[in-house]
This record gives sequence, C-alpha cells and structure tokens, in this order.
Amino acid sequence: MTKFWLVFKHEYLRHVKRKRFIFALLSIPLFMVFLMGVPIFAALLSTDRRPVGYIDLSGLFTDAQPLSENRNGLFSNNIKMLPFTAESSAREALEQRDIQAYYIIQPDYLASGSVRVVSEEAVDSSIHRRFSRFLLSNLMSAEDASVRERILQGPQMILRTLDSDQKVDSTHPLAFIVVLFSGVIFMLVINTSGGYLLQAVVEEKENRTMEIILTSLSTDQFMAGKIFGNLSVGLTQMVFWLIMAGVTGFFALRTFPDLANLGINFSFLVLMAATFLPAFVMIAALMTMVGATATEAREAQQIAGLFTLPIVVPFWFIAVIMETPNSALSVGFSLFPFTAPLTLPLRSMVTNLPAWQIALSLGLLVLAAAGAIWLASRAFRLGMLRYGKKLSLAEIFRTRS
Amino acid sequence: MTTIKVREITKKFGSQLAVNKVSFDVEPGEIFGLLGPNGAGKTTTIRTILDIFKPDSGEVDILGGKMTEEKKNWIGYLPEERGLYQDINLEICLNYLARLKNLDAAEASQRINSMLKRFDLYDHRKKKVKEMSKGMQQKAQLIITLVHDPKLIIIDEPFSALDPVNTQMVKDLLREERDKGKTIVMCTHQMHQVEELCDRLVLINQGAVMLYGDLDKIRRGYSGQDVIIHPLGGLPADLPGVEKIEPFNSSFRIHLNPQVSPQQLLKTLVERGITLERFEIAIPTLDEIFIQVVTSKGAAQ
Repeated sequence: MTKFWLVFKHEYLRHVKRKRFIFALLSIPLFMVFLMGVPIFAALLSTDRRPVGYIDLSGLFTDAQPLSENRNGLFSNNIKMLPFTAESSAREALEQRDIQAYYIIQPDYLASGSVRVVSEEAVDSSIHRRFSRFLLSNLMSAEDASVRERILQGPQMILRTLDSDQKVDSTHPLAFIVVLFSGVIFMLVINTSGGYLLQAVVEEKENRTMEIILTSLSTDQFMAGKIFGNLSVGLTQMVFWLIMAGVTGFFALRTFPDLANLGINFSFLVLMAATFLPAFVMIAALMTMVGATATEAREAQQIAGLFTLPIVVPFWFIAVIMETPNSALSVGFSLFPFTAPLTLPLRSMVTNLPAWQIALSLGLLVLAAAGAIWLASRAFRLGMLRYGKKLSLAEIFRTRS
Repeated sequence: MTTIKVREITKKFGSQLAVNKVSFDVEPGEIFGLLGPNGAGKTTTIRTILDIFKPDSGEVDILGGKMTEEKKNWIGYLPEERGLYQDINLEICLNYLARLKNLDAAEASQRINSMLKRFDLYDHRKKKVKEMSKGMQQKAQLIITLVHDPKLIIIDEPFSALDPVNTQMVKDLLREERDKGKTIVMCTHQMHQVEELCDRLVLINQGAVMLYGDLDKIRRGYSGQDVIIHPLGGLPADLPGVEKIEPFNSSFRIHLNPQVSPQQLLKTLVERGITLERFEIAIPTLDEIFIQVVTSKGAAQ
C-alpha cells in the first residue's frame, strides 16, 4: 500500500507542480471571465438609462401609479416613466435628449390596444415590456394587489407524475444552461485528466522504465497509483473551477437576482455526480488502455479522441431529447454508457425519470467502468514491453500474460 | 540455497520460440555470466526469471521460491532497455525509484547522495535526466540497481556506453559487491569482460543452452591440440606428430595431430635439447569458443 501512495504522490505532484498545469488551471476561469465579462461590460456601457415619456390620449391613465420596484441589480432597468400632456413637449424633451423615447397611448386604446412609439434610435425591447406592464398594472389598479401581481406573472406550472416525486419546473429555462455548462466542464476535465493519464502511461513506455517498475512493485499497485494520481489532478482542476464558479455565482446572484430560483435541485446534482464519476473512471481506464497499446504519445492522443467523441453526441440531439424525453432515442442514449452522463441529467430536467431507468443506466455505467479497468490492466501488462510494436485488441482478450 | 534455479523454461512469442528448455543454476556469491549473441533469448530468460514474463512451461525459483512482492526489494536489476524518467531532475528521479524499492525517504536520500559522489554525478543532480550524456544516464541507472543494497544483482550489458575509466570503476564495484557476498548475474556479449569477472557461465544461442558450467573447465574443454612454444633458438622442422607450425607473436603455435599429446611433444623437445623459454597449452579465448559455438550449432553436444 505504501508503494501505491508513492506512485500516487509522484504522479500527482509531477503534474500539479508544472507551470503548464497552473496555466491550464487559470486559463479556463480567465477565459470564462473574458467571455462573459466583455458582453456584460459592453452592455453596461451601452445601456440607455434615460427615462421614457408617455402622452395619454385615452384618458385611462390620468393618475397612473408607477410600477412597484422589487428588483435591484446591476441590470434591472428601473427606467422612469414621465407623463407629458402634449406631444410637442414630449418631442422637445426627446430632442433635448432628456428622454430616450415617448409612447402615445391612442384614444381607442381600450378597444385596439394601440400605442405609438417615437424615438431617435431603436429602444431596448425590455423597455417596451416594462411599459406594457406599467399599462396593464394601471388598468387593473382596482384589483387587489396580489391578484394583480398574479395576473401579470401568469401561472407557474409544476409537473408531477404518480410514480416519482421529481418535479419539473416549466418556468426556468436557465436550468438547461447549467446542464450544458456542467457537460462542458465535464468534458474539459475528462479530456485533461484523461490526457494526463494517457501521457503518463505512454511516457512510461517512451522512457522504457517499465522493467524497473515491474521489478519494484506490482502492476496493480502501480496502475492504481497512476490512475488515482492523475484523476486527482483532474479533480483538483474541477474543484478549483467549481470554487471559481461558486465565487462567480455569488457575484452573479448579486448582479442578477433573478437567477436565485433556477430550479436546480439537490437530486439533480446527485444524479449528475452519480453518472459523471463512473464515466470519468471509464474514460480514464480506456485512455490508459490506448496508452498501453499505442507506440507513441501523438498516436495515442488521436485514438483517445474517439472515446470522448460519443460523450458529446447528446449535445447534437439536444432538441430531440428536450422535446421527446421519453422517446426510444432518448432512453437509448441514457442507457448507453458513453452518452448517459449528459443525457440522464438533461432528461431529468424535462421529465420524470422512472427509477428503473436510473438504476439500469447507473448500473451499466459502473459495469462499463469496471470492464474498462480490466481491459486497461491487461493491455498494460501485455503492451508495455513491446517497444515500437502495436498490441491488437484481439490479443488483449486472448493472450495469457 | 541456490539463488536462482531455472528448470526447462520455454517461452514462445506467437510462432517464434524465444527460449527453448533452458536450465541452469546460479549459486550464491558468484558472478554468473549469461552469454549469447544478439537475439539469442538472454533478455527473455532474464525477464522470465524476474517474473515479468510467465514461461509457457518450466519453472523458476528465485531466492528460494516463487517471486513475491517482498523479494522485489532484494533484487537490483539493470535492464537492457535503459530507462529513467527523462523529464524530471536526476535527484527526484533517483529518490522516487529508490523509494519504490522500499527505502524510507531519509535513507534513500542519504545513500543516493553518497553514490552520486562516488559516480561523479553529484554536481549534476539538479539537471534533468534528458540533459545528461548517455554515460551519465548509465551510471545513474547503476545507482538505481545498487542503491537498496540488493542480495541479487542482475545486470544486462553493464559496460555499454561507458568509457574505459568508468568501465574499470564498474568492474571494481561488481567485485566489491561479490566480496560482500552478493550474487551477480551478468548478461553480455563482451567476452573479455566475462573472462575477467565471471566464475561460471551459461551460453544461449537461438533460445537453447549451448555451454554451461565453470569458465576454466569450459575453456580447457575447448583447448584442442594446440601448443604455444617460445624456443631460445630455432625450431627443428621434423618434430613428430606436428601437423602445422605457424608464427604466433614472437613464438610459434603448433598444431598437433590427434594421436600426439602435448606431453609427448614436450618430452621430444627436452630429449632433443631444445631450450624453451615458454611452453603453453593454447587455451582458446572465450571469444573463440563463442564464435565456434555460435557458428557451428550444436558443437557442444
């Protein structure tokens, strides 16, 4: 066991201490900050916060109340609505650039709903929505405040089925973004630590250290040390990124208070972890196998791409999975070990997953991971001493070591 | 207790027979030569002894039984395929590999430092392995082989890539280890090194044992009917039983016909009153035996 820890420590520190690792660690959050920060910054700069005016020709809004403000974030546009008595004064204000636009509520508003907008430049659609809300809430000023609020918000539907206690919430499309985002992070982590692992095995071959290793400790200890050491490198990355995401999320919540109720619940996160971890081990073991059978790092890298490719296949079919989450394709994807890690959490967002599907899918994933480890350790023993020679898949199954 | 017992091991790779019923013993405290031309099956034999390969048939006993994880700590192995982690510095590389032989951190670093000094590598310990010369890497590899004070040392071509000074140092080191009671198996095709160092040997060709036993006995067994003579004066041409006389350095090499023994020739020479400075049975060098065995298959049988 102590030799396992020696290998583990050696493999882990070897990568973590490298400049390349630290660069990779920082580059993703920096990239994300850049990717998200630039548009936000640009939007902040371009947002027009000048009030809008309105002229009421219908007489319905003579003593209109301003909208009750319950939002206060960086982007909540609490644009003021200024009443004007005549269009000429509103036009003057527009020309003076005191207001960005004015609305003319037509005399037949109640019958036609017609409102004219006058502005110098295109007005942000959120301001139009806000103005509509303003009109609606004032039309209903006679109603009780809570009734008025409900009518404006619309119903919030939660789908429940009889055989499961999962909830599907219709009002939070942002949750999909979280699933997609997690998928991308998963891919990145699999690719980087899988890559490290692959490299670590091929390096052993390229450095011709195998005989020294085999006469010092057992392949099981050695492989376990290598796999866990390199996976821990990936996990370190993931934990670091999650902390960064948490910090970002904290600020995001302060900036966009609307994000607070995304509809992401605990069971979703558990499902995500339960599918991602065995998939992680499976891919890692397959990468090791490739490393042991290939003759050089570059070749191995190319073959390894084949394993990560099926993981993203569900992304191509995302529309189908979302619209028909219980179709044969969707169920098939969530049972197949390579596509399960993305499909299962995705489907859980839009439908109620039967318990048997979750159990079968996770069971298959764990089996696939165990099988992959078996293959990898065989390939490793058989392939490592064949410098410059390839090992065929048939040999892995057939030959006794 | 015999250190290594190899009993009729056979190993095939696909249709190729790499080792065919090879048997030999290595006794404690000796330097044992494992010889053979390139591709004879030496490395496969060694890998089988070390349990890297499983034999298709036959058995290997090492240090009194099957290979175990614990025994790996008592064996020092210098493989033919030299390998060190190229991308890390020498000190880290050596410490890691030494610790895999069950040395604790303090002991590993103390022993490595003293060996680095002995091998004249101490000033290079912070260099990356790939930045060092071949000879330096070879010395580093020898440190790995010996650092954990193994009972059994198996070295494959220990002198390749070494200059004469370092070759001498390694020879001294091997003799030193033998004097400490270590058993050494040396795999090589440099025959003069074997002659100088080994007590016993086995010669493998095309996967099979050709010669096995005590070095001196083997050489005597191959000494034919040749005698080397250095007379003070001339040599008469009519010596009985002589097939051919050819100059050999400042002496003569005499081929006797099979019916005449060297003793009879000596007697004749003494009777004729020829003054001799040197009379010697021409024992063939291991090189000559090697070439003879390898080129005429089955000569030993």
